[in-house]
Amino acid sequence: MSKKKLILKVSGFIFILLNLNSNISYSQLNKIDVGLRFQKTIDLYYENGITGQYHFSKRIVFGASYITSRLGSGINSNAIKQDNFTISGAYLFRPNKKLQPFARLNTGYFTADYESPIFNNLQNNSAIFALDAGLLYSFKNPLKLNISLGYNAITGDGKQGAGTLYPVYLQTSILWNLKKSNSK
Amino acid sequence: MKKQLVPFIAIFFIASCSKDPKIDDTMLDSGLYFDQSIYNPEKYLVSSSNPSPTPTEALKPIIIAIHGYGATTFEWDEFRNWKGLRTDFSISQVLLGGHGRDYQTFKNSTWQDWRQPIINEFEKLESQGYKNISFAGSSTACTLILKMLADHYFDDHIKPKHIFLIDPIIVPGNKTLSLVGVLGPMIGYTTVENSAGEEKYYFHYRPYETLQQLRDVINVVRKDLEKGIVLPVGCTLNVLKSEKDDVADPVSAVLIYKGTKASNGTSINVKLVASDLHVFTRLSARNPTPTANDFINQTNAFNEIANLLTQ
Repeated sequence: MSKKKLILKVSGFIFILLNLNSNISYSQLNKIDVGLRFQKTIDLYYENGITGQYHFSKRIVFGASYITSRLGSGINSNAIKQDNFTISGAYLFRPNKKLQPFARLNTGYFTADYESPIFNNLQNNSAIFALDAGLLYSFKNPLKLNISLGYNAITGDGKQGAGTLYPVYLQTSILWNLKKSNSK
Repeated sequence: MKKQLVPFIAIFFIASCSKDPKIDDTMLDSGLYFDQSIYNPEKYLVSSSNPSPTPTEALKPIIIAIHGYGATTFEWDEFRNWKGLRTDFSISQVLLGGHGRDYQTFKNSTWQDWRQPIINEFEKLESQGYKNISFAGSSTACTLILKMLADHYFDDHIKPKHIFLIDPIIVPGNKTLSLVGVLGPMIGYTTVENSAGEEKYYFHYRPYETLQQLRDVINVVRKDLEKGIVLPVGCTLNVLKSEKDDVADPVSAVLIYKGTKASNGTSINVKLVASDLHVFTRLSARNPTPTANDFINQTNAFNEIANLLTQ
């Protein structure tokens, strides 16, 4: 993917997240969290980025994230620059408690930049299909924190798929609830 | 309470299963087929066949050829056979430490053990006066050579002229290797479906301890590449990588390309090969039978190595 396309996609994504604040009625804001996501793939990279989620009901949460090694292992290093765009649906257990276990289904698009035409014949993109499960903790202030262990069902095997798509990852997100922050 | 016990009993049962595979007499693992370089080092190692070179011989190119994880010197036999009676360069075929003996020796070895015979042969040749030494590695041997470069091993030694990496592994094809620390103690070992001809030259069983070592060394070298590796002055690095390889993911070549630079800052040479074989330069004893294209790829690679060595 060209840099221009990537910048367009990321800025579009950020625009949508920011616009949620202004386009959605005040009563709905308590349903929206935005924040930062940090991910470490086992035996590979740190990939960090942004995330947002919408509480469709007490138990169902939809989300979208963009994470990249450009904001992780790729900083000042020769690590491959790669980007992950995902949307997700999560189910919360114990939704009325502060500590909420959750299970989440993620899907999206992965792309890596190999930076040289030598590697044009190698696949550098892939669909993402991942499951993760973990815990979400809601503080009294707008802050929420989640941590989960994930499994990528689609990985590269050397003959097919993107080579730097690995199976297991740990992720944590720091989220900010928009209503609680607006009401202050 | 009974329900809670079920998973523990299951884990205990799995953990209680035998961790030693059933080895039969057809396998390298049995200890009945020690690598020939152990008995006849003079046939495989230049340091043994010609320990006192003349000044002219000392200047002739020698290439130290090293096999991959679980393999033996057999992996480079075809290069020696292809060379035939040519005298314009010599080949030293090194057996990695812990390899080519039996299952238990393999199981007890570390990646540092695997690397040691490479260092031993290089230092012997150096002390014998040889001046023109290069390396060719296949698969894990490439990772070990890169580790020597990353550790600045050659700062205190003569500089290698050329390094050839055939199907280097930095990223495994099978990504389950990243979970060997958790799954390994439960499964004990993995099995490789060798052809009948390969059984004497490649371990049939891969103890998880050695898979853990493999994982360790590729992770260490991946991080070295992320920081950047600079080649010794005057040394070239040439990567030949199969485009499809379920053992060493082709993206390994990308990481080496990005992570290694010549001493003058220029890029290294990388060539992708239209092949789906791991270590495409070894065709002997393959099942299914290699194609005509496979033989062309092999000959091209051997020519490329020999031409660069002798130019």
